[in-house]
Amino acid sequence: MYLIIPALNEARSLPHVFEAIEDAELEAEIVVVDDGSTDDTARTAAALGARVIRHPFNMGYGAAIQTGYMYALEHGADLLVQMDADGQHDPSQIPAMVEPIRRGECDLVIASRFLEVTGYRMGWARTAGRKLFEVLGRLSGVNVTDPTSGFQAMNRATMELYVRDFFPHDYPDVDVLVMASRHGLRVRECVSVMRSGLRESQLHGGIRTFYYVYKMLVSMWAASSDGRRP
Amino acid sequence: MSDTERLAELRELFLGAPESAAARLLALVLSFSLVCIVMWLVRRRTLRAEYTPIWMGVAFGLFLVGLNLDVLRGIARIIGAWTISSTVFFLGEFFLLAICLNYAVRLSQAGTQIRRLAQDLALLRQRVEELSEAGRADAATQI
Repeated sequence: MYLIIPALNEARSLPHVFEAIEDAELEAEIVVVDDGSTDDTARTAAALGARVIRHPFNMGYGAAIQTGYMYALEHGADLLVQMDADGQHDPSQIPAMVEPIRRGECDLVIASRFLEVTGYRMGWARTAGRKLFEVLGRLSGVNVTDPTSGFQAMNRATMELYVRDFFPHDYPDVDVLVMASRHGLRVRECVSVMRSGLRESQLHGGIRTFYYVYKMLVSMWAASSDGRRP
Repeated sequence: MSDTERLAELRELFLGAPESAAARLLALVLSFSLVCIVMWLVRRRTLRAEYTPIWMGVAFGLFLVGLNLDVLRGIARIIGAWTISSTVFFLGEFFLLAICLNYAVRLSQAGTQIRRLAQDLALLRQRVEELSEAGRADAATQI
């Protein structure tokens, strides 16, 4: 199993993340993809025992995670888990996430903060956006409550789809799930209790929120024409 | 009446000319066509979604103009143009300038990134050669 952690300037939080991974006693090769950090992310990750892939410049979260998929595929991976480097994902949940994939019941598992009430809170704008994309996702055949979760497990078939050129550079969220569903991949959710990150997410906020909503709508529309659902 | 006043009156006559239904229709058709082309290109994966906002903005502008030509009259008065058509040309040129500048910035970034990639590749190649030479030397020592 490969554990992929995309990271941008996360030198401060990586030791906590690795401590949690060690506590979870996982048998996995840990790969940190440093997306052009300006701090000591790469050196810290290497010192903690991870294999480090460094992007020569910042290309975005989607590009970083895609590099991880490429690495895992090249090394013959059958199973991959991706988690964020900010410390909000709990690695002890990984065995439960990968079990349905190992049993061949699904191709992609998303750890959802909202499948059950777990006490995780979002601002009203983000909650409204999540609800909107949850509804649009359902209309496109994707029944997930947390399409923006970066805590996911997948099999080789999913990785092979995700390394294609049209995988987004920046925000691979519900549009990618629609794409996966249209290509016949089986998506499932499991309950996840997220801890609050060591720092605020850099992905969505301010004017980026409007751009995110617009881009996601256009991308979902494009993805809805992919493949054929089984 | 002075020449200046007569000119101002003439300009108002130009700007106050009745709206042409054909011009409105053309703006609406162009706006709709632009949206369709952009969406078609995105769906064919020829255009990435992140490059569409500027074109959707243009389509929205055309749509507004199609709905109400007074928008253009207002802009013409602000920039001191005499006719709506010259305002359209001015805005078109301004847009082309802005988009050229935008692409110049993107091209500069892409140029820097390509140079960085080439440098990294050169360093990696040198490192691989160094390692393979060391490997050959080790093998020769063992023999």
